Amino acid sequence: MSGHNESILREPLITGKDITYAQITEEILSPVENKPNKAWWIGFILALCGATLWVVSVGYTFWFGIGSWGLNKTVGWAWDITGFVWWVGIGHAGTLISAVLLLFRQNWRNSINRSAEAMTIFAVICAATYVVSHMGRPWLAYWVLPLPNQFGSLWVNFNSPLVWDMFAISTYFSVSLLFWYTGLLPDIATIRDRATGVRKKIYTIFSFGWTGSVKTWQRFEAVSLILAGISTPLVLSVHTIVSMDFATSVIPGWHTTIFPPYFVAGAIFSGFAMVLTLLLVVRKVLGLENYITMFHIESMNKIIILTGSIVGVAYLTEFFIAWYSGSQYEQYAFINRATGPYWWAYWMMMTCNVISPQLLWFKKVRTSIAATWILSIVVNIGMWFERFVIIVTSLHRDYLPSSWTMFYPTWVDVGVFVGSIGVFFTLFLLFLRVLPSIAIAEVKMILKSASEQSKMKLIKEGHLDKEHVAEYIESLEKFDSVKQEEYAKI
Amino acid sequence: MESNKKYWKGLEELNKTPDFVENNKNEFAEPLPIEDVLSEAGLSTVTPRRDFLKALGFGLGAVTLAACQKAPVHKSIPYLVRPEEVVPGIPNYYVSTYKGNSVKVKTVVGRPIKIEANQNSGTFNRGTDAQAQASVLDLYDVSKLKSPLLKKDETTWADLDKFVKAELNKVQASGKKIRVVASSLNSPSAKAVIADFTAKYPTAKLVQYDSISYTGIIKANENSFGKAVLPKYNFEKADLIVSFAADFLGTWISGEEFTAQYTSNRDYKSLEKKKMSRHFQFEAGMSLTGTNADTRIALKLSEEGPALIALYNAITGASLSGAGLPDNTNADKAIKLVAKELLQNKGKALVVAGSNDVSVQTLVNAINVAIGSYGTTIDLDNACKRYEGNDAEFALLVDEMNRGEVGAVFFLNSNPAYDAINNKAFTEGLAKVALKVSFADREDETADLSDVVAITPNYLEAWGDANTYEGYYSIVQPTINPVFNSRQAEQSLLIWSDAPVQDYYEYVRNYWEKNILPSAGKTWKDVLQTGVITTSARAAGSYGFTLSLDAVAAAIVASSKTLKKDIELQVYESIPMRDGKQANNAFLQELPDPVSKVTWDNYVALNPRQAEKLGYKEFDVVSIKAENGYSVDLPVLFQPGQAMGTASVALGYGRTKAGKAGNNVGKNAFPFVTYTNGTLKYATTATLSATGAWEELAQTQTHYSFEGRNIVREATFKDFLKDPAAGSGNHHKHKVYDLWTTDKHEMLGNNWVMAIDLNACTGCGSCIVACNVENNIPVVGKDEVRRRREMHWLRIDRYYSFNDEKTGHNVTEEKEIAHMDNLDNVSVVHQPMLCQHCDHAPCETVCPVLATVHSSDGLNHMAYNRCVGTRYCANNCPYKVRRFNWFNYWNDSRFDNYLNNEFTQLVLNPDVTTRSRGVMEKCSMCIQRIQAGKLSAKLEKRALKDGDIKMACQEACSANAIIFGDKNDPNSEVSKALRSERTYYVLEEINVEPGIGYMTKIRNIDSETKEVHA
Repeated sequence: MSGHNESILREPLITGKDITYAQITEEILSPVENKPNKAWWIGFILALCGATLWVVSVGYTFWFGIGSWGLNKTVGWAWDITGFVWWVGIGHAGTLISAVLLLFRQNWRNSINRSAEAMTIFAVICAATYVVSHMGRPWLAYWVLPLPNQFGSLWVNFNSPLVWDMFAISTYFSVSLLFWYTGLLPDIATIRDRATGVRKKIYTIFSFGWTGSVKTWQRFEAVSLILAGISTPLVLSVHTIVSMDFATSVIPGWHTTIFPPYFVAGAIFSGFAMVLTLLLVVRKVLGLENYITMFHIESMNKIIILTGSIVGVAYLTEFFIAWYSGSQYEQYAFINRATGPYWWAYWMMMTCNVISPQLLWFKKVRTSIAATWILSIVVNIGMWFERFVIIVTSLHRDYLPSSWTMFYPTWVDVGVFVGSIGVFFTLFLLFLRVLPSIAIAEVKMILKSASEQSKMKLIKEGHLDKEHVAEYIESLEKFDSVKQEEYAKI
Repeated sequence: MESNKKYWKGLEELNKTPDFVENNKNEFAEPLPIEDVLSEAGLSTVTPRRDFLKALGFGLGAVTLAACQKAPVHKSIPYLVRPEEVVPGIPNYYVSTYKGNSVKVKTVVGRPIKIEANQNSGTFNRGTDAQAQASVLDLYDVSKLKSPLLKKDETTWADLDKFVKAELNKVQASGKKIRVVASSLNSPSAKAVIADFTAKYPTAKLVQYDSISYTGIIKANENSFGKAVLPKYNFEKADLIVSFAADFLGTWISGEEFTAQYTSNRDYKSLEKKKMSRHFQFEAGMSLTGTNADTRIALKLSEEGPALIALYNAITGASLSGAGLPDNTNADKAIKLVAKELLQNKGKALVVAGSNDVSVQTLVNAINVAIGSYGTTIDLDNACKRYEGNDAEFALLVDEMNRGEVGAVFFLNSNPAYDAINNKAFTEGLAKVALKVSFADREDETADLSDVVAITPNYLEAWGDANTYEGYYSIVQPTINPVFNSRQAEQSLLIWSDAPVQDYYEYVRNYWEKNILPSAGKTWKDVLQTGVITTSARAAGSYGFTLSLDAVAAAIVASSKTLKKDIELQVYESIPMRDGKQANNAFLQELPDPVSKVTWDNYVALNPRQAEKLGYKEFDVVSIKAENGYSVDLPVLFQPGQAMGTASVALGYGRTKAGKAGNNVGKNAFPFVTYTNGTLKYATTATLSATGAWEELAQTQTHYSFEGRNIVREATFKDFLKDPAAGSGNHHKHKVYDLWTTDKHEMLGNNWVMAIDLNACTGCGSCIVACNVENNIPVVGKDEVRRRREMHWLRIDRYYSFNDEKTGHNVTEEKEIAHMDNLDNVSVVHQPMLCQHCDHAPCETVCPVLATVHSSDGLNHMAYNRCVGTRYCANNCPYKVRRFNWFNYWNDSRFDNYLNNEFTQLVLNPDVTTRSRGVMEKCSMCIQRIQAGKLSAKLEKRALKDGDIKMACQEACSANAIIFGDKNDPNSEVSKALRSERTYYVLEEINVEPGIGYMTKIRNIDSETKEVHA
C-alpha cells in the first residue's frame, strides 16, 4: 500500500461504456424532443380508448345515478372503493422511492424516482376520481371539506374516517406534486435551454427562471431534503388512514387493528409492482437500459418479496385472531372469505400476493425481465383482489343473515375501473412525451464514468505507479465485483 | 326628561367641535353635488355612442336570455272561501269501511292519504291489513278510466243512460233474464238498490260469487244446522286451535280480525298472565298461519280428508271408514295427540279447515260439535256476512248465458273474465248476452268484453255501507269528491230503474234512518262520527249434530282418492295479492310474501327435497299442467315445510288488464280451480315438466337460516313458565365496557324507544305497507328488487330452523341444513327489523358530513339535504336497515309504472319529504308523528301522554306486536315491556345500545309435540 486510498467503487448504477453527461441529456430527452415512435402511438391510442370508456362510464353514472353500478342494500361499496384503495396503494411507491430512499441515501433511486413519482401523482388522481364518482350526489363533494359556509353552522364530522381520508389524500397529492415538480425544475431548464420557439417559451415559464447557479442548486438540495422529510411520514400515514375507513367500523372483517401496517405494506408492495410494470416497458421502448439496470430491477424485486411476505403474514394473523377472538361473527367472516361464495376471490388474492411472489427468492427469476414483468402484473391483480375481498366479502355477509346477498358488477362498474387504467396510462404516456422520464440532473450525480475515464487516462499515460494500478484493479474486482477487462489490456 | 337618553352620533357631537356645529346646521352634512350635475357641464355630458350601443346590446341580450327561461306555470287556485274544517297541514279524519272492515281515513287538504284502524269499531280496532293500507294508492291509480265507455268510446252519462235503458227495455220486452253478478255484497243499501232494480225489471236477479269461495262452509252449515251462513269465529276464546289448511291469520275469511283474536292469547300481556294458546296446523303449502303454529305438520292435500276422519274417530270413538294415514306417520301421531288435547280442552278449542268442500266442512262441524265449540269459539247466531257467494249459482249463470237465456248482465265489483274457473265457457256465454255492463274503475278483463263500462269511484270517493256481521253495520263515506267522471254503481242502477230517490247518498241515509238507526237508537251524525253501529248481539247458542256421517266420509274418501297423484297442486291466496283485484297496486306488488319473501311474481312452491328428486334447481322455470289441461310456466321456489308430493301456486297474479303496474306480473292460477260437487275446489293434481328456462324471483331475503346466531332468541312455553327469562340470555350478562363513558347522550325530555313482541308478530306485513304509505317510500319494481334494492324502511326477517329427528337438535346453519333428508319439520320466526336508533350508532360516527346525527330524544336522525351519498353509514350498520336512493325513483321514466307520475303522487304524505337520488334514508321513527303529537299536546297545554304518539307500523299492527313510547316515563307501556324478562336486544354484544327491544319467541311445544316428528 502506498498511501493511496482509493474510494471503494461499486457496481455502476449507470451501465454502458463511455457515457458522458451530454450523452445522458441526449438519451433521456430523446422522447421529449423527437416525434413519438409507433409503440408510443399504439399505447397512447389504447390508453385514450380506456380514458374515453372512463368518461362514458362516469358520465353514465352521473346522469342516471349510482344505481347503474351493481351495488345493493347490503354491499354499499364494491368496485368503487376497491379501485380507490388500489390506486392509492399504487401511489405509494413514488413517495417511498423519492423521499424515504433519499433520506436513506439510496442513490439507485435516482434513476427511477421521476417515473415513480409521476406514477404516484397519476394514481392518486385516479383514486381521487373514485372519491367523487362513488358519491350519490357528486356535485356536493366539496361538502366533505371543512369550508366556511352559509348552510348554518354546518361543519364536517371530524370523527369520520372519510374526512381523515380527504385530508390524507389531498395532503399526499399536494406534497407529491410539489416534490415531483421541484425535482423537475433543473430538467425543465435543460429542455428550455435546448428548445426553440413556442416550446422554449412554455418550458421557460415552467422552469421558474432556473439559472443553474450554485445558490440555485444549494436551495434545490435544501428544498428536496425538506420535502423528503415532509413526505416520509406521509408514506405511512396515507394508507394507515385509508385502512381506518375499514378498521374503525363495526363490520366483521373490517374491524381489525392490524390494518394500518398491513395496508402500508400492501401499498408499497403494489406500488413497486406497478413501478416495475411500467418501467420494464419504458426502459425497453425508450432505450433506457443503461439507466434502469438489472440492479434496479433486482432491488425492487427484493422489496416486493419483503412486503409481499409481510402481507402474507398479515393474512394469516387475521385468521388467527378471528379464531382466537371467539367472536362467531369474526370467525364466520373469515371462514366465509376462504370458503364462501367468493372463495375464488380469496384464493386469487392468496395466490397472487403470497404464493407467486415467493418465486422471487430465486435469483434467476429475480433477474429475468420477463418473469419480473409477469409477476409484477400478477401482484397488481392480487392486490386488487385483496381490496375486493376485504370490502365485498366482509359486507355481503355481516351480522344479520337476512340481509346476506351477492354483489354482481355491471358494465358501468367494469367501465369505470378499466377506464381509470386508461386515464392513468393516458396521463403517463403524455408525461413521457413532455417531461424527462428519468431525472437528468440526478442521474448525472451518480455517473461514475467521469472519474473512471480520467483514471484510465492516467493509467494509460503512465502517470501512476504499477503498484498503485495493481491495487486499484484488484479493488475493483474485490469490492465492486466489476470485471475490468479494459484494465487487463493495459 | 331624565329618562330620555341621548345617544351621540360621535365624539364630534359630544364635544361639539366647531366643524360639527357648522355642518350640523345644514340638512346634509356634506353638500350634495346637485349643482354640478345640473350645471351646463354636467347636462352636456355626452354618453358616447359606443357606450350606448354596448349598454343597449347588453340589455337586449340579457333580457332575451332571461326570457328564454320558460318559467313553469303552476296554476293554483286558492280557496275563495276556505272550508271551515280544512287547514293546510292539519289532517282530518273520517271513518269509512274497506271491504267490510271499518277504517279511519286521514285526509290532508282534501286528499285521503292514509288508512288507520277505527278505534271505535270494536271488532276491527286493533289494526288493518296490508290491502287496506295500500288501498289509498288505488284512488290515485293512473290506469283507471277517466270517463265512462260505451262500446269502447268515451261517452257521457246521459248517453250511456239512454243506451242502457233502451237496451234494458228491449231485454225486458224479450223476457230474457237479467243478471247482476257481484262479489259478496255485504252492503245492505246496495242490496236494497238491487231489490229495487229487480222490482223494476222482474227477470233480474243478483248472483253473488267469490273467486275465493266459502260456499263449502255455508252449505255445510246449512246441511248440519239449517243455517246457510258463515259463522263468527272467536279465536280469542280458544286455548287450543287446530287448523287444517285454514290460513286464518292471513287470507281465510277475516285474517286481521283473527290475528287480533289469536295474538290476544299469545302476546306479552297474555304471557304475563302465564297464558298462551296452543296451535296445531296441518297443511300442504307453508302458509302464514303455518309459520306461526306451535306444531305444524306437513299434510298432503289428499291426506286432509282421511286426517279429519281419523280425528273425528279419535274424538268420538266412532269408526268412520277411510281414516288411515298410512304414508304419513307424523300426521297420524299428531292426530292422536290433537284428539287427546281437544278432549281435554272441550269448550275451549276450535277446529277450522280451509277446504271449500261441503263434506269436509260438514265433518269439521261434527268435530266442533263434539268438542263443544258452538256457543263458545264458534258463534252461528251472529253470522259473518263477509262471504255469501254461491258457486252453484255462478255455474248456473254460465250455463244460462251459453244457452242464450240471458239478455243483460251487470258486473258489480267482479271480474269473472279473469277469475272465473272456466274462462272459455264464460267468455263464450258472455258473447251471447245482448247488454253487458261492467261497473269497474278500469277497463279490466271483464270490462274489456262489455258494451258499457259505467266507471265507479274508489271507495274513498263513495257512499255506502257494510254489514260484516249480523247486527254490525259500518258506513262508507267519501273523503274526496270523485276525481274522474265516475258514478257509483248503485246510483247507476237507481237511475236505470227510475227510482224515486236517485242520489245514492240520500238513498243510503234513508235506508239507515229507516232500517238501522232506530233499532240502535243512534242518529245519522253518530254513525258518520263513529263509523259503526251495533245492534244488540244475540247469545251464541250451542248446536247439536244429528247428520249421519257415513255418506260424508265416503265423499271425502272419494275426493281424496282423485287427488292422490304424484304432484298434488294447491292454489291459494297469497298475502300480498289475495284475489288479484288490487293487482295494479304497486305497494302490494312490492310487499314481500311473508313466507317466501318473493315480490312481483307467483311461483311453484316445492319442497327442496322434492325439487331435487325431480331434478330442478331453484328458479328453474317449469311448466305445470293440471288435470284439466291448463298449464302455465313458472319458476320453482324451494319452500321448506311444503309437503312432499305437493306444489303450491298463488292466485291473484297474471292479470292482463289491471294496469301499468299489474299487467303480466306472474301467471294466472284461477283456471287451476275446479268445480265439483257444487263448490269450487282449490286442490287438483298436476304434472311438472322442465322448460329449460331459468328466471330469478325477486326476493327481499335470500338467506333463510340464522346460522346459530343469537339474534333470534326463543324458549318453549314450558320453560317460560318456569323462568320468564328463559332463552332471552338475560341471565348471563357480560360486563359492558364503554368508550364513551363521559360523552353520553343526555336524554332529558323524552327517549323514544320501541319494543317488539316476537311472539305476537305473525309476519303479515301490513306494517310494511303502512310504513311505505306513511313515509313516501318509493316502489322500485321487480328488477331493482332482484338487485336487492327495495327501499322498505321496515322489513320482516323470516328465518327457518329445522328440527333434526335423529338428534333432536335445532339445526340453524345452512351447511348442516343442506345435509338434512327431511325439511318438513321446520320452525319459523318472523322478526321485524328497522332502524334500531342506537345510542352508540355506528352510522353516525362515519358520516363525513354529519348528515346522520343523534337527537336529544334518543333518535337517530337523517338529514337528507346534507347527505352526499357515500353509503358508509349503510355499510357500517350492523342491522343493514339503511336504504339508498340508487336512482331518482320519483322522477325517472324507468319507474313510471309505479308511483312516478303527478296524479299518483297525490298519495304522498305532505309531512314527509320525498328523497332525491343519491341520498340515504331509513326509519325516522315516524318523526312527523312525534312532532305532531308534541305539538297537539303543546296546543292543549298539557304534557305528552303515553299513547299520544303512535308509529305507522304500530297502528297498522293487528297483533299488537309493536309498542312505541318514552323510555323516560317508567309507567309507559314500552318501559314496562322493555323491563320484561323476555326482552333482549339484537346484537347487544357489539354495544351499539339499540333502542328497540325484542321479546323472545315462545313456542308452546313439549316432549309430546316433539314426539310427533320423531
